[in-house]
Parts: sequence; C-alpha cells; structure tokens
Amino acid sequence: MTFNPLEQRGIPLDRQLRSWRELDVKPIDPDRCDPYTRCRIITMNGIEVEAIMFSHQLARNTVDPEVKRQLARVRYIEAQQQKVVNWLLPGVSSVLETTIAYEQVAVDLTAWVARMEPDPYLQQAYQFGVLEDFDHLYRYANLYEMIEHRKAESIVDGLTEVMPGRPTKFHHRDPVDNVRDPYAKDETNPLSKLHALTIMSAEQQTMNFYMNTGPTYMEPIARQLYQEIGLIEEEHVTHYESLVDPGETWWEQLVNHEYNECYLYYSFMEQESDPKVKAIWELHLNMELEHLHHACDLMRRHDGREPESVLAPELPNVLTFEPNKGYLRELLDTQMDLTTLGAGYVREAHERFEQMQEQIHGGEQPPSERVMAEHGAMFGREYRLQTEGEHPDPSQREK
Amino acid sequence: MSELSTPQAGDDHAEDTDVVSLLMRQHGDIRNLFDEVEACTGEERRDAFRRLVRLLAVHETAEEEVVHPFSRRALPGGEQVVADRLAEERAAKETLSALEDLDPGDPKFMPQLMRLRTDVQEHARAEERYEFTHIRRSTDVTNLAAMAKAVKAAEAMAPTRPHPGVESGAANMTLGPVAALMDRTRDAVRKAMGKDG
Repeated sequence: MTFNPLEQRGIPLDRQLRSWRELDVKPIDPDRCDPYTRCRIITMNGIEVEAIMFSHQLARNTVDPEVKRQLARVRYIEAQQQKVVNWLLPGVSSVLETTIAYEQVAVDLTAWVARMEPDPYLQQAYQFGVLEDFDHLYRYANLYEMIEHRKAESIVDGLTEVMPGRPTKFHHRDPVDNVRDPYAKDETNPLSKLHALTIMSAEQQTMNFYMNTGPTYMEPIARQLYQEIGLIEEEHVTHYESLVDPGETWWEQLVNHEYNECYLYYSFMEQESDPKVKAIWELHLNMELEHLHHACDLMRRHDGREPESVLAPELPNVLTFEPNKGYLRELLDTQMDLTTLGAGYVREAHERFEQMQEQIHGGEQPPSERVMAEHGAMFGREYRLQTEGEHPDPSQREK
Repeated sequence: MSELSTPQAGDDHAEDTDVVSLLMRQHGDIRNLFDEVEACTGEERRDAFRRLVRLLAVHETAEEEVVHPFSRRALPGGEQVVADRLAEERAAKETLSALEDLDPGDPKFMPQLMRLRTDVQEHARAEERYEFTHIRRSTDVTNLAAMAKAVKAAEAMAPTRPHPGVESGAANMTLGPVAALMDRTRDAVRKAMGKDG
C-alpha cells in the first residue's frame, strides 16, 4: 500500500493539545521490552528534539509576528510529543543503560540507512560513521560491566553485536576534516534528504544526552569516557549536518522536517510490537500530517513554490530496525582504517590527523583505552558479544 | 548470548574501597541472579533461587546495618530517606517470604518472582539516587572504605556461588533458613564495624 502524506488529513491542530492525564504515559519495561521498541523511542525523541530546536531557530529568524505565532502553536504540540515519546523510557534505567541503547540506535539505524542510501557519496558517509558508534557501544558496554556488573546483552539482547569497531582514539580528527560536501537539493533522491535529516537528528540528540548526563557520574573513568565520546558526537553532528544542502530555504527545510516525521511515525507504526507504543506512533502520525500541511502552506506563501516539487511522490519504503550484523562485519573487514581528509576519505594517517592526535592525547592513553585497561584489571578479560563468530579483523580479536 | 559470566562483587578484582561502588555492583549481581532463575528450570532453578535469596538477605542486612544507620545520622533529611527505603525493603521481604513457601515449579512462582524483581530493582535505583549519592558527598574515603569492609564481612557469610567440591544444596542446608542467615550476617557486620571503628 502506498501512503502519500500530502493527500492525507490528520487531527486538526486545535484538537491536538493533551492534558496531564494524556501526557502521563506508562513507561516500557526495561528488562522485558523489545530492544527495538526502545530504539524507536530514542530515535523519535531525537527527531522531536530537532523539530523543536529547528522551529525555535526559524522563529528567531522570522520577522512576521503572525508567522511566529503559527510556529509557536505547532512547536508547543511538538514539545508535548517529545514529552510523551521520551517519557516512555523508564526511570529505573541508569544513564549507562540508556547510553547503551542510544549506541544500539546509532549502530542499527545508521547501518540500515547506509544499506538503503542510493547516493554512493552519502552512503560512504554513513558507512564511515557507523563503525565509530559501533566502537562506542563496545567501550560503554565494558564500563557498564565495571560499574553495574551487568552485561550489555541484557539491553541489546543479541540483536546487535558488541566488539571493537574503528578504535575510538582515532575518531579525534582535525575539525575541518569533519565537514563533508552536501547533496544537491534539486538532483538528489528525496529519500537521501530524509536519511540525512534522520541521522543528523539522532546523532545530535546523542551529543545532547552525553553532554548533559556525562557529569552526573562520580566514577572518574565514566566522567572521562563521556567527555571523550561526547566530543566525537559533536564531530558526527558536523559530519552529518554538512551533508544537507544549505541552499534549501527555511520553509523548504521546515517541510522536509515535517515530512520526515510523518515518514518515521508511519514506519514505526507499521513495525511496532508493543501495542501501547504503536498507538502513540499512530496518534503522532495523525498530528504530524497536519503539521506538514501547515508547513506546506508556509512554503507556498513565502517561497511561491509547491512542496511537491521538493518531496517524494509517495513515502519511501518504511525505515526498519533490524539486525545488520552481516553488513557491519563486511564494513569491519574493509573500512576500519579509514579516516577523513577534506571532504573525502583516505587510509593513511595524514599530517593534519597526526597533529590533532598528538595534541588531544598529549602523549597519554585516552579514556576509551583506559576503560578497557581498567576493565581488564577487574575481570581479566574484555566484554564482547560476538554472536556470529570471531571479529572479522584478526588484529581486533581478543588476545 | 555470550558465555561470559560476570563474577559477583568480592570475586572480581575491584579494590572495594568504596562502599557505594561495591553495593552498586551487588545490585547488578542480584539482577543477574533474577535472570538466571528465570532462564533455567527444575533443580537448576531451585539452586539459582536459593542463591538469589541468600544474596538478597545478606545484601539487605548489610545495608540495614552499615549504610542506613550512616545515612540516618549523617544526611540532612536522612531519617526520611531511610524510612522510605525501609518501607520498600519491607514490601520486598513480604513478597520474598511468600515466594519461599512456593516451589519454583509452582505456576504461581514466576509471576511472584517477576513482581519481586520489579520491586527490588526500583528499590535499588532509589537507593542509588537518593541515598548513595549523598553518602559519597557526606563522607571521606576512610569511612567509605570502612563501610565497604563491613559489607564484605557480611558477604563472607553467604558464599553465593557454589564452590568447587561443595554441593550447593548441602552448603545451603548448613546455612539454614533465611532468618538465621540474616542474624548471623548482622553479627558478622557488627563485629567488623566494631573492629574497624
């Protein structure tokens, strides 16, 4: 069945406000939920946070008070959506547990997008990034066992493997090498725009999460690891946001945001295994359809163009959370030693990269290495979850 | 699932000089044992459940003897914080004693166990957030280490892993009922606290 959000009507905006009772959602059970339900929640929270912050930025660049008021109305509803979505996460989870779930999102969402991305340059950007989040998952999983004596498999549930990716210490690049070339808005496949927006939003939320929760830890190694990976998340936001064509007008970007929200709520509604959560995806889709129509009206009015000219004629295939183990193993086998140079990728450690490495590490081991040493001292081994056999790269097998 | 098993607090090579880190790792050990009970059946489940009950008994007794008294004395509003934790512990103990009377093969066993799992988990997080953070803030490394030592003395009362050469069932028999185990744990902790401080 094809679904064209432009042809559907949702819940009228003046009937979208929810009372406290409706906002008070029951959280998922952290130990017995479908891990991909949690991944969908974390993804949609990142999407809603981006929607809110984008709308704030747009409002700050808008002169017309009537338009400001319109943006405020929709944004308030989006703020309620964010509250409902993120409040599905249970209070009983620790920050580290949520962190591991964030990294599972980063791995399986980015890997899926990389598999489906039609543009080879954009695909390379996702392939490059996913191997870094994959390594973050491994480092945090080891920290988790040290602090809470629990294994990350109790969270990722064997759907995502946990083992080294591109070593975290090599993610610290000269900032200028994090800037990619953008797609061309009038030539690119509309699906590519949705992919870029989705991954950018997810990484941005991860950056926000680490920058705010990292200092809540008391253990020195935990504080330091969040600082290190938090900085890499900033690099990732730079990396992914630079893929988006900056020539898109504010109104075109607003339409893309709303369209992407429809796409994702529709996708997740189609797959959701938890009926209560599914009902939320469905409700929010019906709200987003109206937000999209409002955005389309603004684009017509301010740009004098039809939104259809920048959007896909129908929703692309649903975005899916599923294991990507084989695909990731292929990337581990072929792309571990890549770094960036300018807007491209190289295998050798070039001068600018070496300089950055020297300066940031200051001749010492970074937290991402020390966490492994401390874990080793405590348990005499590493924590890994290799459901499909040995690591594809012999140098990364456990000694 | 991986073959790795996480050793219990005391059996890893952590320094255990901080009572808060030690108790947090024990919270994980307790969750691991809940998972183990759920995952196996028959005699294995019975054995895992016995180990769970012992660890819970020892852990809660140690907290009551070492950590809560400190919080009551040293934290602003400590009385109330501890009263809240004790109420949670009482509720958990009630579920636990109901469970003890059931055979792990009984159809009522698993639903009760799941309820206990949720209660214990909520209680553990509440301790970590509303009690432990304040303990670290209110005392120094010497006292954190002294309290850790007392908790470790309690742990020694109940070997929670079947040790080589000792049939776990037999070991359990010699430990006797939970109430007696709690009494002995209390004595051991008090002795350790007296010696150290």
